[in-house]
Amino acid sequence: MQTATSNTTTPASPSWFEKNYFLIRRLHSLTGIVPIGVFLVAHLITNSSLLWGRAGIRPGDGEGLSLTEGGITYFQKEVTWINTQVPHLLLIEITLWVAIAFHSILGIAFALTGKTNTSRYAYQSNWRYALQRFSGYVGIAFIFYHVATLRWGWTFLVPGGTQWSHHYAVSTLTMALRGGEQWTPAGIAVSLFYFLGITLLIFHFANGLWTAAITWGLTISTSAQRNWGYACLAIGSGLMLAGWSALGVAVLVDPAKARAIEQSMLKAAPQAPLQTQVPDTDK
Amino acid sequence: MITSLTTNAANQPAKPAATPGRTITLRIKRCDGPGKPSTWQDFHVRPLKNANIISCLQQVALNPVTTDGQRVAPVVWDSGCLEEVCGSCTMVINGKVRQSCSCLLDDYAPNEGDVVTLEPMTKFPVVRDLWVDRSRVFHALKRVKAWVPIDGTYNLGAGPKETPANQETRYVLSTCMSCGCCLEACPQFNMEEQPKDWDQAFIGAHAISQARLFNLHPTGAQLERERLEVLGGVGGINDCGNAQNCVKVCPKKIPLTESIAAIGRAVTIHKVKQFFGR
Ligand code: SF4
Ligand code: SF4
Ligand code: FES
Repeated sequence: MQTATSNTTTPASPSWFEKNYFLIRRLHSLTGIVPIGVFLVAHLITNSSLLWGRAGIRPGDGEGLSLTEGGITYFQKEVTWINTQVPHLLLIEITLWVAIAFHSILGIAFALTGKTNTSRYAYQSNWRYALQRFSGYVGIAFIFYHVATLRWGWTFLVPGGTQWSHHYAVSTLTMALRGGEQWTPAGIAVSLFYFLGITLLIFHFANGLWTAAITWGLTISTSAQRNWGYACLAIGSGLMLAGWSALGVAVLVDPAKARAIEQSMLKAAPQAPLQTQVPDTDK
Repeated sequence: MITSLTTNAANQPAKPAATPGRTITLRIKRCDGPGKPSTWQDFHVRPLKNANIISCLQQVALNPVTTDGQRVAPVVWDSGCLEEVCGSCTMVINGKVRQSCSCLLDDYAPNEGDVVTLEPMTKFPVVRDLWVDRSRVFHALKRVKAWVPIDGTYNLGAGPKETPANQETRYVLSTCMSCGCCLEACPQFNMEEQPKDWDQAFIGAHAISQARLFNLHPTGAQLERERLEVLGGVGGINDCGNAQNCVKVCPKKIPLTESIAAIGRAVTIHKVKQFFGR
């Protein structure tokens, strides 16, 4: 080990970072998939139920509901379930925050070691290399805004100051995106930022899946890399559709109508968590 | 025609025959030495039939007068084999890196008045004009011990047999000429003037591929662990960003991205084994 290149350099004993470099790099790769990627997929599927939720309502429960009404109802149910039934929700959230912070900080540090050269070498893969880094930067800003405004309640960052509430999941979301009941210029900007953020993050995830397979050595041959590339394209396209449909319904829905549905759901089940305990006390 | 010429010309559309007796312009980025500023100078050249960049540079050397009539020092470049096997004549031609000996003017400047730009590679220190110092390429090969360890005090006898399948995989890898094209085009490989920084900066696709070549060699495999140890560390395989420019510019069509993935797998396995005490 020590003999080969000791003539040119006298390396100081390796730092902690250098000793654990491999582990750190691979943890960076891994956290992008678990837990961040897994959460992203679950999150997009849930959100896209705004579009397909009508189909998810059990026959008999949703008599006479339109597509939009069904979507709102189903999505509100999902949100209530997550916020009242999922155990250790805070622990899950903290895990995600830590993972995202780790992936972001290291991602920026690693991205700064490269210099994009797409103007000279305008290959598609080189563009994806550049876009992977750009989408990371924008994605960090977007996730921060998204979580700060809708989860942590930093309403001073929301045009119109709407506070998101899990009891009024759709109507408050629509207002936070539009900047109020009606569209405002700032609301349009926020909605466009959502479109950009969602699109870039899904690209980042799908392209990251593709590169991770090379990094870990799963796809070696050029044809394996190409085939896995098609698979990632399919995954990315599916998630794009989910993300765009969720955002589309969220900005286009009438907040008053959504609020009416949410209010009636709240009246019907004012304390959802207690309900589950009813069967227990009966026994 | 040398086959590699056709491969390099493959991304150019088929063109009508070049105009004989035409005058073209070589726009050359000049630099008097390390740390000196660079300037552009234009030279008129009348390319001979089937001329390559080197023969045009020879014409410039015969009469180093710029297009505005200034007599200047002859342009310096590096070359050796003149048949795309030594890699020393590598430079940036019309914005893309390649060998100047295999770059034909009939493809690049077929018409009267065409301009061809020549720059030294940007990732290596300039010695003078188009000549760069590629020591770091060879330093990287030393880091990954890109050789078969057979030195000793007695005759080791015949080595283990090589299978035809293995030979087939290895052959193309063995054609690497350390030219540096894959490094010049790589967004993760940046200029490092100081040799002391070379062990921390990204090692580059060629050394990763050569490590694979010698890991696949029945006797060369003895050094596999040491190679993987280097490639698992800072500046190793993990610093590749998968832009895959390397494989597109490699004049030898070496499947560099396959080598990168293969070494990625080998390092993964090596590290897992190491974690469990092997
Ligand atoms: S791998 Fe190809 S581009 Fe890189 S140094 Fe070898 S021959 Fe040149
Ligand atoms: S695939 Fe890796 S080695 Fe090749 S050009 Fe991209 S970053 Fe460089
Ligand atoms: S002179 Fe050897 S490759 Fe061009």
